[in-house]
Amino acid sequence: MKFSLVVYSAPHAGEAAASALRFARAVVDQGHELYRVFFYADGVHHGSALAAPPQDEQDLLTPWQELRQANDVDLVVCIAAAQRRGVLSHSEAERLERPAANLADGFELGGLGQLADATAQSDRVVTFGGQ
Amino acid sequence: MSTHTLALCRQAPYGSALAREGLEAVLAAAAMDQAPDVLFLGDGVFQLTADQAPQEIGQKSLYRNLQALPMFGVERIYVCRQSLADRGISTESIAVPGIEVELVTDPGALLARYQHVLSF
Repeated sequence: MKFSLVVYSAPHAGEAAASALRFARAVVDQGHELYRVFFYADGVHHGSALAAPPQDEQDLLTPWQELRQANDVDLVVCIAAAQRRGVLSHSEAERLERPAANLADGFELGGLGQLADATAQSDRVVTFGGQ
Repeated sequence: MSTHTLALCRQAPYGSALAREGLEAVLAAAAMDQAPDVLFLGDGVFQLTADQAPQEIGQKSLYRNLQALPMFGVERIYVCRQSLADRGISTESIAVPGIEVELVTDPGALLARYQHVLSF
């Protein structure tokens, strides 16, 4: 079955972010296809390369990057939501004249069209966070 | 199998960014000719009340985004009747120009008709 996930929660803000990651792993481990993970609203903070949680706390960046590498999972950060919250690629930082870029490797900025596309292409769309 | 989508708007207009970002997602999908049906439920019904004055708290009007819906082909919205009643909002006070409001008494049955539900 083809799955897409939508993540609204910032990492470390609650259980939803960690649940999304575990669900993503379970989808792949059970032989399903993970078509896309779309990070929206506060979820765009997942794409920041600058998060530095204490060593004894869960890392919520590297596991997504590993999932991307191992399974070619599409990790899309909504560009409009990301601009509001300061998650920028090098080209966006340059274009918007901001002093730094922080979009992590493995993540890409994309439009809301990619959410519509994920919904159309997937058998199941599962949302994490938002309340 | 149908891939038709329902967007669920559950947030009051200025208390959560998800209210605005949900409507933006609806408009973006509609612009791609994939307009979802939309159900306003719970505190989401507050998005539909007229006479909002968000400039008083430094916010942009979300009602304007609603008014854009018909231009993108969304000409009907579903609204939960019980959510309105629970909040003391009359059905007359939630008109959006160019949009037909269809009151829903059984949101669960409506949700069950869709392949996908995007919850905002």
